[in-house]
Amino acid sequence: MTRTAPEVVSPDDGFTVPELAIRGVTVRFAGLVALDSVSFTVAPGSIHAVIGPNGAGKSTCFNVLSGVYKATRGTVHMGGDELTRLPPHRIAQLGLARTFQNIVLTHGTVADNLMLGRHVLTRAGFAATALHLPGAVREQRRHRERAREIAEFLDLGAVFDAPVTLLPYGVRKRVEMARALCMEPKILLLDEPVAGMNTAERVRTADAIAAVRDNLGISIVLVEHDMGMIMRLADEVTVLDFGRRIVSGPPEEVRNNPEVIRAYLGTGEDTPVDASVLGGFPAAPSQTAGGTRHAQRENEERQQ
Amino acid sequence: MTKFSEIALNGLALGSVYALIALGFVVIFKASGVMNFAHGSLLLLGGFVIAELHDELGFGGAVLVGVVVTAAGAGLMELLFIRGLGTVELHVLTILTIGIDILLTTELVRRIGSDTMSLGDPWGNDSVRIGDAYVAEARIASIVVATILIGFFFAAFRYTAWGLSMRAASEDREAAALMGVSMKRIQLVAWCIAGALAAVAAVFLTAAPTSGLDRTTGQIALKAFPAAVLGGMDSAPGALVGALMIGLAEALAAGYQSELDVLGGGVSGIAPYIVMILILLWRPTGLLGSKELSRV
Amino acid sequence: MSETPVATAAPKERKAPADSGGRSAHTALRTTLRWNKLAGLVAVLVLAALPFYLTEFWLITGLFAMAAVLGAIGLNILSGNAGQLSLGHAFFLAVGAYSYIVLSGESGVIGTHETDGFGLPPLLAMAGAVVVAGLFGGVFSPIAGRLRGMYLGIATLALVFIGEHVMTNAHNITGGHNGRPAEPMSIFGFSFSDGDPDLAVLGVEFDRYERLWYFGLVLVVGGILVARNLLRGRPGRALGAVRDSEIAAGVMGVPVARFRSMAFVVSSMYAGLAGALLALVYGTLVPGSFGLQMSIDYLAMIVIGGLGSVGGAVAGAIFVTVLPQLFSHYAASLPLVVEAGGDGIGPTEAARYLYGAVIILVLVFAPGGLAGIARRWSLALRSAKRPSSPSGKTPPQGAVS
Repeated sequence: MTRTAPEVVSPDDGFTVPELAIRGVTVRFAGLVALDSVSFTVAPGSIHAVIGPNGAGKSTCFNVLSGVYKATRGTVHMGGDELTRLPPHRIAQLGLARTFQNIVLTHGTVADNLMLGRHVLTRAGFAATALHLPGAVREQRRHRERAREIAEFLDLGAVFDAPVTLLPYGVRKRVEMARALCMEPKILLLDEPVAGMNTAERVRTADAIAAVRDNLGISIVLVEHDMGMIMRLADEVTVLDFGRRIVSGPPEEVRNNPEVIRAYLGTGEDTPVDASVLGGFPAAPSQTAGGTRHAQRENEERQQ
Repeated sequence: MTKFSEIALNGLALGSVYALIALGFVVIFKASGVMNFAHGSLLLLGGFVIAELHDELGFGGAVLVGVVVTAAGAGLMELLFIRGLGTVELHVLTILTIGIDILLTTELVRRIGSDTMSLGDPWGNDSVRIGDAYVAEARIASIVVATILIGFFFAAFRYTAWGLSMRAASEDREAAALMGVSMKRIQLVAWCIAGALAAVAAVFLTAAPTSGLDRTTGQIALKAFPAAVLGGMDSAPGALVGALMIGLAEALAAGYQSELDVLGGGVSGIAPYIVMILILLWRPTGLLGSKELSRV
Repeated sequence: MSETPVATAAPKERKAPADSGGRSAHTALRTTLRWNKLAGLVAVLVLAALPFYLTEFWLITGLFAMAAVLGAIGLNILSGNAGQLSLGHAFFLAVGAYSYIVLSGESGVIGTHETDGFGLPPLLAMAGAVVVAGLFGGVFSPIAGRLRGMYLGIATLALVFIGEHVMTNAHNITGGHNGRPAEPMSIFGFSFSDGDPDLAVLGVEFDRYERLWYFGLVLVVGGILVARNLLRGRPGRALGAVRDSEIAAGVMGVPVARFRSMAFVVSSMYAGLAGALLALVYGTLVPGSFGLQMSIDYLAMIVIGGLGSVGGAVAGAIFVTVLPQLFSHYAASLPLVVEAGGDGIGPTEAARYLYGAVIILVLVFAPGGLAGIARRWSLALRSAKRPSSPSGKTPPQGAVS
């Protein structure tokens, strides 16, 4: 899998993926500083992971990007457009889509949810819909076809007309992602897309994310805890801790960065620690076979 | 000046009675998360029982029985419908209370018919002179009794185990339950207290200078809704403040009706609602209500 | 554990068995829709035939039910689909009713009161009433936008009381305590009243209520179709998203404030239409008809019918309107019930008991209302009829892990 960020996708009906620039963003809630002057850039068409221990501010970051929270200071730019003061629906119209950690799906079928994702791309208003005007009917049909295509892209064709409440967790997560894709965004924010999934589902989701990047050329920002998946997928990684950015860079560099390791383990030691402590996902063969430090300690305890 | 002090005292008296109703309302909301639209029928129940029994048992005895019966009635409501349904959405429970209200009110109204019943209160039509103002004794009594009861209530809220559990539960039900708070007992006690307060309120709502208990008495409880809402649905002090504001607004509107004629006759009836809307425009969750924080 | 990205060519054979679940859900959906259309057509035909058989009492009841259906559909869109609890529906009905009266009525003097009127043709006045009610809804919606949940509910309650107060006092509009008559409907000279022209169809005299019946029927069918279109289309989805999670809706690109506002406008337009129809049916409106009781009735209608469902709103509206009339008409033959005014349970009380009891029972045993019950039946029927799928042995390859 290629690690270098691909070139900006050549204009195809005017669809250029812009750079997402976060500059000095600070978010304060009643005395608590959730984000402290965070800056990083998401190159167009790349997969950018945001990682960090719990409470580091990753979801807060997503909420600022999508307009759910207002930044106390700093700016967010998507290409030439400034997102910082915009309400969420304006940001969505500009081409930024996101999924949620705790799935927020509306009632109805998968198709209904995906069609909701088409809201920004459709225009039928109250009057046109109420009167069943042919333009509105045609638009609905056209977009439903497109939604079905996207559903099949993520292997949801079989459940397209099934009620979401009946579907298992893993499938609903995929519907959530499909719905975000239905917005045909230029930048996609995925908030812990594999949380709660088993290994097979994780692999499939990782493949889907890679396929999205490869086929659509859009930027993807990923919040995840699964290190192995991040190592495999991400072109660049930003690490947050206590609301501050520690480092940004390619996954290999970040993985071996002592500050990052310290942030996760909280050790004061300078001893280089095996980076496989950030394990989880089936490791690439190049990693040490010594097992994790945690596992080593367990072994010791068992032998006693 | 005399007129103003009379109006102010009347407003205070009215507010104190509304406070009894509004507090019960808020207590139920904090304990069960439900807006109790059956509160009016509880009030009517309490008043009716006292009206029927005061000849035999005397005023004091009747009030005692009335309070107990209403508290029991409220507790029964909680047991059968609110708790009995398990986990149901709160707005469904709220509409359920409308159904309960219809049942109970219809039955009570049928028995009351077109009569106006007296509750046999000892103050009758006597007035008392305070400075230059003449105030009905009953009104003074309502202020005194309400203050005492509200004082007890807040003390209980603050210092008893029940009060602590209530406050904990209304902040975070799950955490409270994990900490061993018995939700069942808290809710039952809350409803019973609300019922008892409503019965006492009925006494003062039907004392002088009103003519007594009639079929429309239950609707007065509706005026306490805005009191609870503008103070903040989950705030007991808010209910108190709200009730006083509403009582004063109503008394002022009634007292200065002639000056307010341009707004139409009977403005005092809608004064509570106008005040409430104005406050809600300024503070969408009431004066002292907690703002909702959503975590995504 | 496949290494190939999901997007690249999934073999056709892999798709087929996995699709059978979705396909059958799809065809089941289409069959249901076809049945619904058929049922709707039959219902309309039956309703069109009724004026030939019904007495005046039942015609009036039916007309009340039609107005209730229109109002309930509107409230359902607001509270069921957009999730905004409103106890103020009666207010918007009043606005519609009095707007019709003022727009179609003449200026002049009734008794000792002056009255205002614009003298517009009745059909235009009715359209105007709908627009005015919608405007009021639009004006109130920013207030509604700031409030949530129970706060919104009680604020709308305030609307009802304040509205009643204004109506009692605005003699120029409402004609004071004696009320004010409403201009009968007339379309291109054909008057919907007793005569003008005299009309008899198949030997049956077609007077005011018979004529209004068809007028009402057209309004109701139109109202149902419009609501269905809205809820099945883009606006309906957006409203549902706003109800379920305003944050998620915003992030999907739905301008939340605007849609909450539109929900109020649409809902009040329906209420306005219902109010205007009521004015036509009553003939004369006295103040006091549009109070808290009516608001609660509408809430009960959509709850009993099933929140979020147009068909449910229709069913609930018919139920709540017709029930008390049934009781009062057949009071004599019901056990336990005595004539009005007698000792014991009169017909109005009996109707109220049943009303309260039904609200409780529905919420306890069928929180989805009549629509929910209907849905469960149709699901049960469908799964009983459908044969097991032929490829049922091995789990389809594309299946969820």
